[in-house]
Amino acid sequence: MRWTLWIVLGLFPLVDGHPTLKTNQNSLETADAALNHQSGSLNSVLHLDDTEKAALEPTRVDPAFPMKELNTSHYPATRAARVAQHYLNYHHGSPSKWFMVHDIKKASSEDIPEVGTKYHIQFSVQEQATKEIVGNCTAEILFRQTEEQSAPEVNCTCDDLLKIKTSDADHALYLHIKHQPEPVAGTDIPDSQGNIPKEMEPFWYLGGIGASFIMWQQSNESTLYNMVHVHSVKQLNSENDLLAFDYVVLLHDMVSQEIIHWHMQVAWNPTQGVKVTQCNLLPKDTMKQPSAEKHKI
Amino acid sequence: MKGVIFFSALLVAVFSQKIFVGDQVLRIATKDVEQITLLKDLEELEHLELDFWKGPTHPDFPTDVHVPFASLQAVKVFLESNNIQYSIMIENLQSIVEEEKIQISRSRSTEQMRNTNSFNYASYHTLDEIYSWMDMLVSEQSNLVSKIHIGSTFENRPIYVLKFSTGGTKRPAIWIDTGIHSREWVTQASGIWMAKKIATDYGKDAFITSILNEMDIFIEIVTNPDGFYFTHTKNRMWRKTRSTNSGSSCVGVDPNRNWDAGFGGAGASSNPCSETYRGPRANSESEVKSIVDFVKSHGNFKAFISIHSYSQMLLYPYGYTKTPVADQQELDNLAKKAIDALSTLYGTSYRYGSIINTIYQASGGTIDWTYNQGIKYSYTFELRDTGRYGFILPANQIIPTAQETWLAIKTIMEHTYNNPY
Repeated sequence: MRWTLWIVLGLFPLVDGHPTLKTNQNSLETADAALNHQSGSLNSVLHLDDTEKAALEPTRVDPAFPMKELNTSHYPATRAARVAQHYLNYHHGSPSKWFMVHDIKKASSEDIPEVGTKYHIQFSVQEQATKEIVGNCTAEILFRQTEEQSAPEVNCTCDDLLKIKTSDADHALYLHIKHQPEPVAGTDIPDSQGNIPKEMEPFWYLGGIGASFIMWQQSNESTLYNMVHVHSVKQLNSENDLLAFDYVVLLHDMVSQEIIHWHMQVAWNPTQGVKVTQCNLLPKDTMKQPSAEKHKI
Repeated sequence: MKGVIFFSALLVAVFSQKIFVGDQVLRIATKDVEQITLLKDLEELEHLELDFWKGPTHPDFPTDVHVPFASLQAVKVFLESNNIQYSIMIENLQSIVEEEKIQISRSRSTEQMRNTNSFNYASYHTLDEIYSWMDMLVSEQSNLVSKIHIGSTFENRPIYVLKFSTGGTKRPAIWIDTGIHSREWVTQASGIWMAKKIATDYGKDAFITSILNEMDIFIEIVTNPDGFYFTHTKNRMWRKTRSTNSGSSCVGVDPNRNWDAGFGGAGASSNPCSETYRGPRANSESEVKSIVDFVKSHGNFKAFISIHSYSQMLLYPYGYTKTPVADQQELDNLAKKAIDALSTLYGTSYRYGSIINTIYQASGGTIDWTYNQGIKYSYTFELRDTGRYGFILPANQIIPTAQETWLAIKTIMEHTYNNPY
């Protein structure tokens, strides 16, 4: 049994799929591949025993792993909920739909020996465009004990997520962009004063949703990420019916207080949602930082 | 279907181009009267929608004409085929228009500096503007407000604190600082608003008047002037001071890790390139030392409030250790009361607790030091928002943020006033 576990741990870096988003990494497997790995093809590949299966299964709470009730104001719950937010945004967000954690109602964690820590969070989120609050979200977030950064594994559902109807807005935006003579481009969103021109808002949202993928992948128990700036967005040519954009975004990690630059390419259409097709970390002083100058469109 | 069409039309209207994009202004150099006549003929062609800034009068004088984008080719062909020399004075009129709008709003804001009543509190200001505003406030209400020079920054900028006092000598005092981390712009902006609020309310509002009849209030609005200047000129996301670090090309020390409380312990970095670099030793930063010296020599501060952004939290000590402060219960109760008051205005919700539990372990922090000095009511605020805009909070949220924060601060001041120690 023990050796099975060692093999399991040894194989995880392979199975987890996408090369981790390290400094020199240039490209990333598509998000689809990463998602497949996350969503349970593991069991069939790895011949896990019952203990290991229990650790990975979303809803079973094994009494062998003691549950610890968490203070919902304290940072362990905050950080875990933020990961769920990033996950939710990547799977359900769009240029018209962007969620932020609103309130954490209940939180607990369990330490799973030799695996990691699994958090159980009940929370509500607020959609930023409509200001609607979606209550009754539950998430399980597993942070694995690995030497290198590995994306937390998340299961997250919200009861009335579908009540937020943005498909009309998304479709209208999609058609509008398709019919523009010039490709979309923008810099410094928001500008120093916090202004965002109305026409750039969807691209700010889209940047946020794309960045959610990166933030989800980069999170662990010692991080708390937010996207704080879109340095630039540029529409790319695309042959198929997906719109494609090249972004440079600034992420802020509250724990280290560092501002991290990421370059990413994002594909979107209203039916397929948002996908990050490529991303790489940029060196710290790689570019002029957001300045007080006006943005250019 | 109809809805989609209407929506698309609406979006097209919203996204439609601005008026002068691609328009050019040409400077035409005519060499003889014949060419002047040709230009006058051109003027007659209304469909071109030409706008002559300097009309064709005499071959010796240039003619300046604003040509809409749509007519550019026709006009240039006309000029070239008639051998009329011209140059492009303005390549894209729209960018000039936008530049000018900015200039106007800037000069408007400097014009409004005539007095603190016409100052624009709903916009972010430069260091110079804030320092000028301070002088104006002092001169308008010199019976209540004075400006104290407590030290100089690394780059030799003056560090000022505003003192609100109705007399006495070293009365029990309340301290408020904003902008210790320069990128947190809503804090300096809130500090300005609150200073003005105090000056306005004294003599009119019963609460502030009673406080000021027995206590002094000190506000340091730009606690990190070098960093603040840098956020305006080079890097909007700059956090630290701008002191140089020997042996490193990286600049700056985190002024909220540089205080003598748990200095050197976990919760700060020893790497000069890090955003949480503690510095070579406690109080190495003049921005920090100035406050330390001032507080120690004053000796009678009863509350100390240090304001940051973002996250919407009200925090009390400690950050450097899990050991609760002796006054934990009282500080916790007061924090709850303060954030309840804050939320009454706009429904903004805050979390609260000790630094180490609520946000992270942090050593060398301001309020850990002030608490250990015996200043019991030591609090750190983290203002709006929770991450949507983060540091770059829209200017239209400055006043609402300041207003609600003021309610929380008044709660702390009231408790301090009612519980002398």
